[in-house]
This record gives sequence, C-alpha cells and structure tokens, in this order.
Amino acid sequence: MDRFPRDTTGSASRSGFSGRLHVQMVVNGRDVERDLDPRESLLDLLRERLALTGTKKGCDHGQCGACTVHIDGRRVLSCLTLAAKANGAHVTTIEGVAAADGSPHPLQQAFVDYDALQCGYCTPGQIMAGLACIAEGHATDEAQIREYLSGNLCRCGAYAGIVAAVRATAAAQEGGC
Amino acid sequence: MSQPLARVDAFDKVMGAVQFGADRVPPGLAHGALAVATIGRGRVVRIDTSAAEAVPGVRLVLTPRDGGELASAGFVMAGGHGFQSLQPLTDDHVAYRGQPIALVVADTPHAAAEAAALVQAEYEAEPLSVDLDADGVEVLDQAAVIPAGFFPDVDVGDADAAFARSPVRVDSVFDCPPQHACPMELMAAVAEWNGDTLTVHEATQNANAVRFGLATQLGIDVERVRVLSPYAGGGFGNRNSLQAHTCLAAVAARRLGRPVKLVVPRSQMFHDASFRPASRHRVRLGATVDGRLQAAIHEVDQQTSRHDLFPANYVEMTSRLYGIPNFRGHQRLVRTDVQTPGYMRAPHEHPAAFAFECAIDELAYATGRDPVDLRLANDTGTDPVSGRPFSSRHLAACLRRGAERFGWANRTLEPGSMRLADGTLVGWGVAAGAYPGSAVPTVARLRADDDGTVSVQVGGHEMGQGIRTAIVETVVRDLGVAADSVRVDVGDTAAVPQHLTAGSWGTASALPAVHDALQELRRSLDLPPTGAVDLRAALAAIGRADIEVQAETRAPGQPPEAIDRLRRGAMAIAGPEFPTFTAFSFVAHFVEVRVEPTIHRIHVSRVVSVVDCGRVASPVTAASQVGGGVIWGIGACLREGSEVDPRYGGFLNADLAEYLIPVNADVPRIEVDFVDEPDPHLNALGVKGLGEVAMVGVAPAIANAVFHATGQRQRRLPIRLENVL
Repeated sequence: MDRFPRDTTGSASRSGFSGRLHVQMVVNGRDVERDLDPRESLLDLLRERLALTGTKKGCDHGQCGACTVHIDGRRVLSCLTLAAKANGAHVTTIEGVAAADGSPHPLQQAFVDYDALQCGYCTPGQIMAGLACIAEGHATDEAQIREYLSGNLCRCGAYAGIVAAVRATAAAQEGGC
Repeated sequence: MSQPLARVDAFDKVMGAVQFGADRVPPGLAHGALAVATIGRGRVVRIDTSAAEAVPGVRLVLTPRDGGELASAGFVMAGGHGFQSLQPLTDDHVAYRGQPIALVVADTPHAAAEAAALVQAEYEAEPLSVDLDADGVEVLDQAAVIPAGFFPDVDVGDADAAFARSPVRVDSVFDCPPQHACPMELMAAVAEWNGDTLTVHEATQNANAVRFGLATQLGIDVERVRVLSPYAGGGFGNRNSLQAHTCLAAVAARRLGRPVKLVVPRSQMFHDASFRPASRHRVRLGATVDGRLQAAIHEVDQQTSRHDLFPANYVEMTSRLYGIPNFRGHQRLVRTDVQTPGYMRAPHEHPAAFAFECAIDELAYATGRDPVDLRLANDTGTDPVSGRPFSSRHLAACLRRGAERFGWANRTLEPGSMRLADGTLVGWGVAAGAYPGSAVPTVARLRADDDGTVSVQVGGHEMGQGIRTAIVETVVRDLGVAADSVRVDVGDTAAVPQHLTAGSWGTASALPAVHDALQELRRSLDLPPTGAVDLRAALAAIGRADIEVQAETRAPGQPPEAIDRLRRGAMAIAGPEFPTFTAFSFVAHFVEVRVEPTIHRIHVSRVVSVVDCGRVASPVTAASQVGGGVIWGIGACLREGSEVDPRYGGFLNADLAEYLIPVNADVPRIEVDFVDEPDPHLNALGVKGLGEVAMVGVAPAIANAVFHATGQRQRRLPIRLENVL
C-alpha cells in the first residue's frame, strides 16, 4: 500500500488543521479505511473510532507505555504516532494477539499464571511490549527483560510477575526451536 | 480448597476486554478538554474564548461565567463529597496554578485539545505560598480547628518530663515532600443523560460520593444519578471522592444533548486531584541505656490548602507502634496555595513511619543495640493509648521471621563494614510498620440460580487490589461451587450502596457482608451452616428457580444508624479503636541496598517483608499487593517528590518523565511472607487490612540501610544520589 496518505480536501487545507487525509491500514488482520484528521493519533483512532479500547491512554506523551501496539511487527507508542503514519501498515493491538479460536496467546496466559497484573490498565501495553521484547531477542534473562520493559510503567508494581511471564514464554519458545 | 485461586479478572484484563471508564464510546460522543490557570493565585479578570470557539468541531465552551449552573459538593472530610470544597468554573477566583478555568467540548479529542489551548485569560495575580517555609502561610493547631474527637492529638502520661529524665535521647527532624499517586488510568468521566437521568462511567473508589456529590452539584434528585465503576486503573487514594471534572462533563452533556467524555491529561492530574501533602516531623525519643523506650514526642507540620483543612493523622500509628508509656503527638496544619491535598497509599503512615522508624534506628545506634532486638524489646500486646488489648498483634513474629529469612544474624553493626571488594557499599536496614484496622457498613446481595450461578452484588470497588478475587474465593470456600460460576458486581450504585473503598478496609468490610449473605442463603435454602452445597438440588427442593438474599453488616460496635449513613451517601468508618480492642495490621521490612562507589547511586538489591494482616483472604492477590506496596516504598524513598517553585506555584515535574515512579529495572527480588493468623475480633473471617501496611516502613528500612552502608543519616525524602555524595 501507499505510505503517503491521500489529501482528500485539496491543497487549501494544507495551511490549517481542518484538512482530511484518506488512509488505509490493516488492523488486527482487518482492512481499515478512514478519512483522518491529520492531528489524530493512532491511539485516538484505535480507541475512539475503531472501538479497540484495549489499548490504553496513560499519559499521551510517550512516557508510560500503556498505549504500546505493533506496527509491522515493531513496538511503537500509539500516542506518539500520528494515525496517518500508519497508512499502508499492519497494526496489531492487544485485541489481535489471541489465536483465531479466541484462546489466549501463551504470553497472555503467562500473565494470568504469574499474576503479572493488578489493576490491569497497563497490562495490554506490557503484553505488546513483552511480545516485542521476546521477538527482538531481548528476553534471554531476567535482567535484560527488566531493561527492555522499563519503558512500560506499572504503578501497581506487578513487575516481578511481568518479568517471570515474559521469561517463561520466551523459554518455552526457545525450547520449541 | 488446596490451590489458591488465580485473580478472577486476570483473563479479561490480559485480553484487553475489561472496560474502564473512558473505554466507553457511546454514539454521538463529544470530547472535552480543560483550559487551566497559569498563575499561582489571584483572579481571572477577562477570558477570551473566541479563538477556541472558532476551531472547527467545537460545540461548547464553559467558563466561570456559566458558574451559576453548579454548586460545590463540599469537602469530603467536612461532610461533603468532593476532594476539595472549591469547584472550578463557579467564580473568577484562582486558588492554585493548574486550576481549570474553562471546558471546551468538541466533536473530536484533538479539536477539543487545540481549542482549550487557545483560551486566553487575563489575571490579577496575588502573592502565593507553596511550601511549608514560605512567607504568607498560615499555621493552625489542628486540635483547635477540627472538631474534637476527629483526628485528635495523642497525650499519654507525661512525655516531656519522661523525655527530660531519659538517659538516652534522640531528637531529629525529618522532611517528606509532596507526592502524587499517579495511577496509570487517567482521571476521566463519560457523562450520559437519558431524559433527566444521568449515568456516569468513571473509575472511582467512591461511587457513592460521585453520585451524591453530583446530585448536590447539579441540583437533581440522587435517584436520577447512577455511577458505574466496575474497574479502576489504580486508585491509591487518588479516586477517594468526587473530582472536579465530573460535573463539568455532566453539565456539558446536558447542554449539548450528547454524551461527553472528559479525559484529564496527565499533567493536569497533578493539579486537578489530591496529592500527599508535604510534612515535617520532629521526633524525640527517650530511652533507658539498654534501649527501653520511656517517652516519645512526635510533632508534625502538614501542608493543607487555603480552602480546606485536610486532617493530619500521623501520630495515631506512631503512638501504637511500641509500648511507649509516655507519648505526646501534636499536629499542625499549614495553609498553602494548592489544591486540597488528600489520601495517597499509606497517607500518613508512610511519612510517619519514615520519621519514627529512622529515629528508632538512631536510638539503636545510640544504645549499641541491634535494631531488631531493640524493636522486640519494646513490643506490647496492649494499646498504650486506649489501654485495651490489640485485636491481634504479631509484629514480633514478623520481625523474627523476617530476620531469619533475610539472614539478619550475619549483619555487622558498624556502618560501612559490609563493603564489597569493588568498593560497593552494602547496607542492611530494618523497619516496622503498622496501619489501623477499620471497617465500614456494607450491603451484600446474593442471588443463586438453578443453572448453578451465584451472583454477588456488594459495596466495594476494584482498583486492582483484588477485591473481586477475595469475594469469589469466599463464596467458593463457603459453598464449594466452581469459581467460574460466581459473578461479582462492585462499584455500581444501582446495585447496592457504594461506600468509599480505601484505608485497607475494603476486603475487611466486603467479605463479612458476603459471609453473612451466604449464611442467609443457607438458611433460606434450609441448608446447614457449613459444607458443600448443591444449589440446583437445594432450589429444586423448595420449588424455586432462583433465590435472592441480602445482608447488611456493620463494624464491631457500630450503631444501626451506620447503615442509614451509608444509604444517605455519608461515610461511616469505624476503627482502629473499637469498644473492646484496638485493631492494627503490622509489617516488618528488611532491606539490602548497594551504593555504587563512584557516583553513589543507590540501588535496593533485596527486600524481605513479613506481614500480619490476619488471615490471608486471597494468597495470590495478597502477595502481589505486598510486592506492589514495597515498590511504592522504594519509589517514595528514592525517587518521588513533586517539585514546587515559590515564584510560580503548581507542581513543576507534572508528568511521568519527570515525576519518577519505579520502573521494572528499579525493582529487586522481593520476598513476601505472611504470619496468616486469623484476627479473632475484627470480623468473622479473621481478616485485617493489607494494601497500605505493605508500604509502611519500607522507606525507613531503606534509609536505615543507606546509613548502614554509608554512615550518613538521611532525614529528607527522596534520598537522591546528590544526598549521599
């Protein structure tokens, strides 16, 4: 797909914020096509217009990690990502992580098994970051996991469970290779 | 039941399926954004909203000119429902930097945010005072300004005389900064009108206060307000009462005839909600040469706002921590130009324990006694203030077991004596903590269906502490039914009254109500008081498809009127002094710190915490809650302080990049253990509070470990590397 969103309002709109941009993306395997406000964040697009509210807003400034999603397999902070930048991309959110039959991803199950959460608000972002951490090869030991997940704040302090869940999931994948 | 139950809402949470307040997206939704004052104190003399109104998509701008539509809900600690008595947008007065002065509502969140930034105001500024030492603060004797009986000073024996004649004396001053709770979920409300009935979806710890407060503010019948808060993304006291944004969303929704969502940005949350106030503690301890405490004097100055008196309650705990025969506690309030401060996890007990338990460590070194031995030598089974017994007190067991697990016997007393080969300074510290045991009146409704489902509606809120899991575990243990057949409704004012859930009384209040409802269910079904139950068979035996029962419980000694207060939306908190006993939870923390030899960065490398919270109601969630409390203690001791600038007011480091809370890499191995002895008096289930006591004493244990590592006493929080260089 084209990486540059199409301006649907003509050149006059470029001087102000009233223009609309036409974007296409694949979100959790589904084609999505929308006219966007250029100011709109990917987070607000997901939450307010696509009803994918599993992705959370904790700061809107890229400081807490609660809004972590994947774009083309890489973890990004959706609050700092303009929705228009996801044009042509594959976006995965917490709602797109489970298997097709609805059974949880092994990391989701590990979060339950290790009680890696309390209030649950940061949890979707922790899981999206944890999946990326494993895929990046940064989950080989606990100290490394702590470093690579330190961009995801958990005010309840469920960190020990989070590290254990990520390590166990990574270990199971390593064993399966 | 052999296996402890996993957190019952964990699956929905990992799937992203749980709906928090702002996750609601009703059709036709409009979005709000606040413009806030940019002076620290004064008056708005002119407000220009024309640029904001010109932004495409803007539907409404509310300013103080619209104030006639709103009343104050009153301050929650003075019989009202609000976190402060001041309701922004009701007049032109600016009490603090960051106070909302306008609400913009637009079709999209980005249009609302842009327009809010375009609201222009002119002010008349007045001099301001934002810290305890500023010119212009007003210092009040708490006992003289808050009605007698509430938050009294403590005066037992003759502390001043006993201190004067004690052979060993400690006299130290400790400073604790303002701190912000920073729950991960932003403050937010979705307000929807259906005719003249208002429904609010909002994370709160006190749906009653939101409901009754809104009815007062909007001048409508309370029966026309429903508040739903099934989940809160962390509470920690931040959501204890009605906040100022909620009624603004409700007014805008009423004006526009559309639902309105107002999400308060993180930076504004530092000013639009309560915070832990600054406090200064002078602690004097007098002891015999072998460390037996003869006297303690604990004097506190605590920050409050100009418009409200947030009560200080530090000495309630410190006067009970040991068997000190002569104790004098005195608390003063210092009026400053801030929003009203309030409760934040272990609100007074954390700063009080920092001051008192660091002083106890100073006493241990002054007498040459081991800090654990000194604490054991001063233990007591009797509340020295009331003279009545503690309902249960296993602090000595916490200390002994913690010392054993930590390997405390290998500690050498001399500071700096445990240095590693690379020059790293190692320190081991200990501290104790306590937290009052309280309970509130609670209504529980229980319904059993012939499909085997048990539905529980109970007063209480789920902020992540695990109240749902403890409730399900109680039902499962009692009836022997499967956990997935139990449904729990909390935080819904349409179900049962929703008293504030805070002060670690949530579980200790909800479970007895559920327990009584279970007993009522058994009576109604003609079943024996214990043993596994076949609900289908029992219902069939009385020829019914379902049955519903209700129970109302009160704290020990609480009069029946407590239930009426609950139903009227008032608070009714009992404890820690009850007619025949005093109830506290206890904890002992053992901490190892490592201080890097060159830049003196402090790292907590190991923690062992042993808790006496009565019977452990839910082992899985309880262990997580204690781990979280310890992490809160690490943050409070080494990271968290809300910075003020006397020239500008407000809080400067008002975001998560500059207000530093612990991240994953900050957190060491934390070993948690429980005494797990049921409390025989507080309630039928033997449970005491847990969520707050877990944090109490962590900061002094760290500070004492830093002293042991470096030989330097740290009496000001947070302890940063520049303090130990």
